[in-house]
Formats: sequence, C-alpha cells, structure tokens
Amino acid sequence: MSETSKKMSETSKKKSKNNSADLAASRADKKGIGQYILGACLLLYTLFCALPVLLVFIVAFTDEASIRTNGISFFPSAWSLEGMRAVLKYGSRLANSYMVTIFITVVGTLLGLLIMSMYAYAISRPDFRLSKFLSIYLLIPMLFNGGMLSGYLVFCGIYGLKDSLLLLILPLCVSTMNVIILRTYIANSIPAELMEAAKIDGAGEYRTFFQITLPLLKPSLAAVGFMMATAYWNDWQNAMMYISSPEKQPLQMLLVNIQKNLDFLLNNTNVPADAIQAMGGSIPQKSATMATVVVVIAPIMVIYPFFQKYFIKGLTVGSVKG
Amino acid sequence: MKSFLQNTWKHRAHVIMALPVFLVLFFIMYVPLYGLTMAFREYDLMEGLLGSPWVGLKNFEFIYKTGPLFLRMTRNTLIYYVIFTAVGTFLNVTLAVALDQFVFKKFGKTMQTMMIIPIFISYAAVQFIVSAFLDPNGIFNSLMGTNYAFYSKSMAGAWPLILTIVKIWNSVGYGSVLYMSVLAGVDTSLYEAAEIDGASRWQRIWHITLPALIPMITVMLLLSVGSVMKSDTGLFYQVTKNVGELYETTQVVDSYVLDAIKKTTNMGYTGVASLFQSVVGLLLMLFANGLVRKIAPDDALF
Repeated sequence: MSETSKKMSETSKKKSKNNSADLAASRADKKGIGQYILGACLLLYTLFCALPVLLVFIVAFTDEASIRTNGISFFPSAWSLEGMRAVLKYGSRLANSYMVTIFITVVGTLLGLLIMSMYAYAISRPDFRLSKFLSIYLLIPMLFNGGMLSGYLVFCGIYGLKDSLLLLILPLCVSTMNVIILRTYIANSIPAELMEAAKIDGAGEYRTFFQITLPLLKPSLAAVGFMMATAYWNDWQNAMMYISSPEKQPLQMLLVNIQKNLDFLLNNTNVPADAIQAMGGSIPQKSATMATVVVVIAPIMVIYPFFQKYFIKGLTVGSVKG
Repeated sequence: MKSFLQNTWKHRAHVIMALPVFLVLFFIMYVPLYGLTMAFREYDLMEGLLGSPWVGLKNFEFIYKTGPLFLRMTRNTLIYYVIFTAVGTFLNVTLAVALDQFVFKKFGKTMQTMMIIPIFISYAAVQFIVSAFLDPNGIFNSLMGTNYAFYSKSMAGAWPLILTIVKIWNSVGYGSVLYMSVLAGVDTSLYEAAEIDGASRWQRIWHITLPALIPMITVMLLLSVGSVMKSDTGLFYQVTKNVGELYETTQVVDSYVLDAIKKTTNMGYTGVASLFQSVVGLLLMLFANGLVRKIAPDDALF
C-alpha cells in the first residue's frame, strides 16, 4: 500500500502542474458548430437529471383536485399550498424526526472525521512499524465482511443495541475508502517538513496533529465530511432494521412509513376508521406526499452548491486507490 | 522483536490516535463476521444468534429446495451488475470526455452541478419520483395516453429498463467527476503536439484522452468486482416498492436479505444467502486483483 501512495503522490503532482484553466485557454479558440451540438446534448442530459427533481417541487404545490382529474403534470392547472400545510400538520413528529436526523448527521460526521483523520495520520507516519499491520487491518473489511444480516444479528442479538441511536451512527462512521482519501491527502499535500519543524520547536505529537495537520487537512475534510453527512442524512436502511420507537425515527423513515401506509390503503378496501385516524386523519395525498419529499431533500439541495468545490477537489486529490 | 516493541513504544501517541477507528472497525466490521455462522444454525427468535442451535449444512437445502428462488436472485444480481457496470462506465467516460471537450467552461460547470444532484437524493425519496412518472395517473401514462399498471406482474418485463434508467439518472453525473479529474491532469503539451502534427479532434480523443482514462477505468472496474453480489439495495427495495409481483425481474440477493430481516423469516436460508454473498465477493475481488496484477501491475489494489 505504501507503493501505491507514492504513485498517487506522483500523479497528483502532475495534476497540480497544469490546471484546467490553462487547458481551457488552449482550446478556447475553437467554438465551431460542433461545440454547439455538444452543448445541446449536454443540456438535454442536464434536463434529464433536473426535471424529475423539479417535478417533486411542482407536485408538492399542485392542487389535489387537479391531480385527480388531469393526473400528474409539469404544468398543473391549479396551484395550492394544501400539500405543504398537510405536512406541517405532522408538526411535532416532523420536528422530532428533523432533530434525530440532524443529531445523527452532526455527531456522526464530526466523530467520523476526527477519528478517521487521526487513524490516517497515524498510519502515514514514516518509521512507524505498526502502520503496515494497521493498513491491512483497514483494508480487510472492504474485501470481506458479514453483510447486512450478520450486522443485524450481532448488533441486536449480542450487543443488545436494538432501537439505539448508536446503530444509526456507528455503522456509517468509519469507511475504508474515506480513511484512504484522507491518508492520501496527508501524504501528498502536507509537507512532512512542516510536521518535523513543529516537533523541533517542541510541539508534542498531539499538538502537531491538532494544530498543524488538522487545519491543513481542511479541503479533504470538507469533501469527506460532505459525503458522510449526505450518507447520514439519506440513511433509511439502518433505521428500518434497527429503530422501532417512533420518537427515534429519522426523516427518511417518514418517507418509508408514508409508502407503507399507501400500500396498506391500496391493499385494504375496508380500512377501519381508527387506522385512518392513526395516519393523521386522512389518506395521504399526492401533493402532501411530495411536500414531505421536499421537506426531506431540500436541505441537501441548499447546502450542496457550497460544498461542490471541496467535494470535487477532495475526490480529485484523494483519488480512489488504496 | 525487541526493536519492534521499542518502535511501537516510541510511537505510542500514534497507537492511541489509531485506537478509536481500530475499535469501531473491530466491533462494527470484525465481530459481525461471526454472524455468518447463521448459515449453519436454526434461528431461535427468543435466544438470538448465540442461542440458535447448530444444524450443520441443513440450511443449504435453500439452494435447491426453494425452487428457482435462489437461482433467480443470483441471476438478477449478476445481470444487473453487468448492465449497470457496462452502461455506467460507458456513460461516465462519455460524459467526462464531453464536458472536458466543451469549451464554454462556466456553462459546463453549471450543468455539471445539476447532473450531480440526483446522487444526493435517497432512494426512499426517489421511489416517489419514480412513481410520479409510472403511476396510473402519472406522467408516462398521461403523456402516452396509455393505461399501464407498472407495479404489477404484467409489466415486470419493463423493470430492468426502468431500473437502468433510474440508475443512470442517479449516478452518471457523479460517476463522471472522477474521470474528469483524471482528464484535468493530462499534459496539455500532448494535445498541442498532436494538433501540430495535424490530428483531428476525434483522433486526439481516441489517441490521447481515452488512453489517459484506462488506468482509472481499470481501478473502478476492479473495485466494483468485489461488490458484484452487493447491489444498490435501495434501488431494488425502495424504487420497486418491494412489490412481490415484480420479484421475477427485480429481486436481488441484497433485497431478499433485507426483506427477510424485516420480516424475520427464513433466517437460516438468509444466512446461506449472506455467506454466499461474502465468499463470492472475496473470491471475485482476489481474482480481479490477480488479473490486474498480471496485465497492469501498477493498477493493482494490493
């Protein structure tokens, strides 16, 4: 693995030599017809990606009667705030799920970043003989792991952690890939002389790490942190397997539960009144459902553009190799 | 040995720094390996894993006894892997090259931002987007004037195509970022030299751009081979709404395992499926890495 990291440092040096701005300048003189055709194709693909997302927002603000008569449409005949109002009716449940999701996202991401960068720093120390073992120890879970079922059986059956928020945090906290990205960044972009100088000046190991390495690691931390935060925000699988009490349900479970209720109504023509009562008084409607989706996905859409820079750079510098 | 201990003692601060991840991996990744023994046990709901009695190889009857179930989900898993990998890699590379060749960089960047967004939407949310298109009163049926019931047995044949489209929508914009980063590192003088020698744009793409991408393509394929048996669970579980009538064309090993955990049924059989997943994944990974070691040793993973 040390071989590969050396190789990676070479490629990244090559990368930094000529940045994409020079590249663009050298080719900017050719704006032929081909460029416009290319542009049109790219625009089509962009629409293919963006329109379904736009549809979520449109349906969320469409009048329910208009959906019933004309079906779902990009150009609804009547708009309405009814869907949003229905979502806000969930009130405390929605706020509660928001709190759970924000909690696991913040705690999980910060904890993961801290312990993974410490590990990455430790195994990239030259002359640290144990680092070879630690690198292999890190790699093995990527090659061979127990999968979903084993995790479920051990976490619930042996650790007795069922319905614990720990199971929403720990399984997504450490990933081999992220440690490798951080380690590569430390090896390539943080000059070893800096760390040595700090040591000569009398800084201890911990101080060197927290005051020299960690601040310089910021771009990579931003990239990995954003990916982790998204994974936490979007996690429904762990919640579905492990969490049963309603007050611990994260946001994504709201969506899963809405779907479950819709299925239930579809398959049972004689739904008892109290069941409907339990679902918030009425059958979940299209616009209300989509409004819920909006509430769940909007935060990421808002934050993402601010992180895009780091996230692309982090991927670039870190590359993917172990 | 003594010098090794001395070295470790000298680096004790680093040992302590490595400890938290070491422990998390130990408890979250290593200990659960013991759960794979479920394949050889009869699940006891009250006693949990440790209290479940051993039954030898009895659970392996799952492979032949449940009729075509095991075969079907293995087949689906493999077919989807091949389709997604082939189509995905091709489109990732195409999009990366297209964006790299595009001279209006600012506009290109804006479009790229929008292309990446779908990867950040969870499948729990994506299912609602897909059903907005496929429902009886959805976009597809109203545009085409048809009346297809997509979530029923009669339309099971359409799902491989639907899932492929959803997968492309979800992951191609993001997947191309990596390849673009490689292209940004290609030495510009190569292009200039080729241009002076009279190479056309297509020739330059074919002889300079694509060869530059080969190492990254190899690494990505290699990485993906190890997870052949692990599908994108949400795509198969959420987007299909886990509708039983569609299992014929949509059930993969992962969604079977998740469904079984959810319903706590057939845990022994599920244990077999899990063990199968892990072992096959390991073998394929070793095989692929060995292969890459032979043809391009520089790109091998370990």
